Amino acid sequence: MRSELTPAKGFVIAGLLSLLCGALFGVIGSWQHVLPNFVDAIPFVKSRPLHVSLVIAWIFLTAVGGVYHYLPKIVGVPLHSTRLAWLHLAVFIGTGFAVIASYFLGRFGGREYWEFPPALGIPIALSWSLLIYNFFRTANKHKGPWPAYLWMWATGVVFFLITYAEANLYLFPHFTSNMVRELTVQWKAYGALTGSWNLLVYGTAMVVMERSTGNTAIARSKLAYLLFGLGFTNLLFGWAHHIYPVPSALWIRILAYAISMTEWIILARMIHQWRATMEDGKNGSSTLFGRFLFASEVWVFLNLGVALLISIPAINLFAHGTHVIVAHAMGSTIGINTTILFASVFFIGERAHSGPTRAGFWIFNGSLLAFWLCLLGAGMVKGWFTVMTDLPFQKITEKIWPFIAGFAVSGIGLFTGLSLLVWGALKVLLASNNKEEGDAHGTVELDAIPVENRCPSMPEKVMQHQR
Amino acid sequence: MVAFNKVLDGSNGPSGFGVHRHRVVYFVLVGLFILQSGLTYTVSTEAASPAVELNDAAQRGEALYREFNCTACHQFYGLGGHMGPDLTNVTVAAGKGPDFARAVIFHGSGLMPNLAVSKEQADDLVAFLEAVAATGTYPIRSLDLTPWGTYEQMHSDAK
Repeated sequence: MRSELTPAKGFVIAGLLSLLCGALFGVIGSWQHVLPNFVDAIPFVKSRPLHVSLVIAWIFLTAVGGVYHYLPKIVGVPLHSTRLAWLHLAVFIGTGFAVIASYFLGRFGGREYWEFPPALGIPIALSWSLLIYNFFRTANKHKGPWPAYLWMWATGVVFFLITYAEANLYLFPHFTSNMVRELTVQWKAYGALTGSWNLLVYGTAMVVMERSTGNTAIARSKLAYLLFGLGFTNLLFGWAHHIYPVPSALWIRILAYAISMTEWIILARMIHQWRATMEDGKNGSSTLFGRFLFASEVWVFLNLGVALLISIPAINLFAHGTHVIVAHAMGSTIGINTTILFASVFFIGERAHSGPTRAGFWIFNGSLLAFWLCLLGAGMVKGWFTVMTDLPFQKITEKIWPFIAGFAVSGIGLFTGLSLLVWGALKVLLASNNKEEGDAHGTVELDAIPVENRCPSMPEKVMQHQR
Repeated sequence: MVAFNKVLDGSNGPSGFGVHRHRVVYFVLVGLFILQSGLTYTVSTEAASPAVELNDAAQRGEALYREFNCTACHQFYGLGGHMGPDLTNVTVAAGKGPDFARAVIFHGSGLMPNLAVSKEQADDLVAFLEAVAATGTYPIRSLDLTPWGTYEQMHSDAK
């Protein structure tokens, strides 16, 4: 029996298709580093923004789809306006096609990551305002304390709009007439923008954990609010590790250094929590979404380690401007955000998964690890020769070529794994008529989730340790 | 925002995060963020000298830099793509300079395509690159590390 198409599912399906296309352009772009004339019709100057924008769209679309899906169930009332959610989706997709067309036509005008003509930012901002309105009108009906994930989502949706506006300040001469200011404000906005969508994604992870374990205390614990506060502080003030070499005021850079170091707390907590999990022999891998949640924990650990190291200026000196930063960006967007979002998608789908989908999980994670290590290797070699020698760019590029070739080959594996996962996800989403989705406005009691579908994951252990 | 305020006011009953001190912390952070933004937009990124401010030609060059999406391949201060070299100091580097940059812009070189620009546009792009070069030095090759994990140039080049 086929399920009714809801705005939430529309967002998720659009996100999955966006991911597939984005990954394809990523493969083209990576091979253009190895074979410069590869797919001549889409040169690198086009393949890169196509890849980046479509993958970012996957994160937004799927995270927003998750918010639209889970919010009514959490609050216990229908979404304030399903019509506005549909309008949001329509404007988002329409603008997305315009962005893609502008790239194919070579009409740029924006800055890195948002290279499309700035006028296209207007419908994006307006449609996002619909989300904010819908979110608060619905969330306001929540009885009792707001769990941490509602705060994460509330902060994420509001700060996305604020920082997206900030990312467009370059349209004013006050900012463009001074390159130090221009670069500083650009990366201030980008750092906070990334923090905003991370709050949406991490909030979703918390919801999936809560709903799969039935443990409602985890998102209401002091630790959950503390971690939210830490993430929020990093969103607001931790962006300047991107611009240590840019000659702005010293306090900007030192403040970011100090704030970034607070993330050791998160790392220490993860190690502590992990030890407890391993001792217990539970890793939440009995379901596909449980596996994705566990994989996201591994990727958070790896990327947080890299992020902390490259936030130390003396190490950043070698890593900045190299593929280490790309590894960090890819590890965060693919390793963390994508695995969490797949956990959410397969939890929404809530169906048995075929062999190819499960194979996709392993191909995806294995390829991503190789991809990530190749980028780290290329970055470390490039960083060393850039800082310690006067070798020209071309010579350094020759030295990192084996790593770049490995990166391009593993990119094909990554695309293969993602294709299997997207295919599996689309099948379950289009075929599912599960309890969660059966009534788009309905609510689900946690006890109603079958035991075999629950994720025996870490939150229970965390709670034990808190006690 | 009315709904948002209602939640923050605690009108929905006691909240785990709605405890007064938590809300105070939240809004203190937001206040500090606004203060930080104001400083970053103004005094903390002031140009060290008038030469660092982009003149009209350099601003036209900056717009062209965006229109050709040069950032897909090139970097300033290590920020941007990795296909081509960092351009922060290309107009002052030994063996390069404005004429070198102009020639590459006109004719392309290796992976760099011929942008098919006019002479005026090439001049504007070079004016932009010269203005960027006046802001500072990158990459940083001095290894004067401090006990705090920073490096000396981070302190000496500060505005």
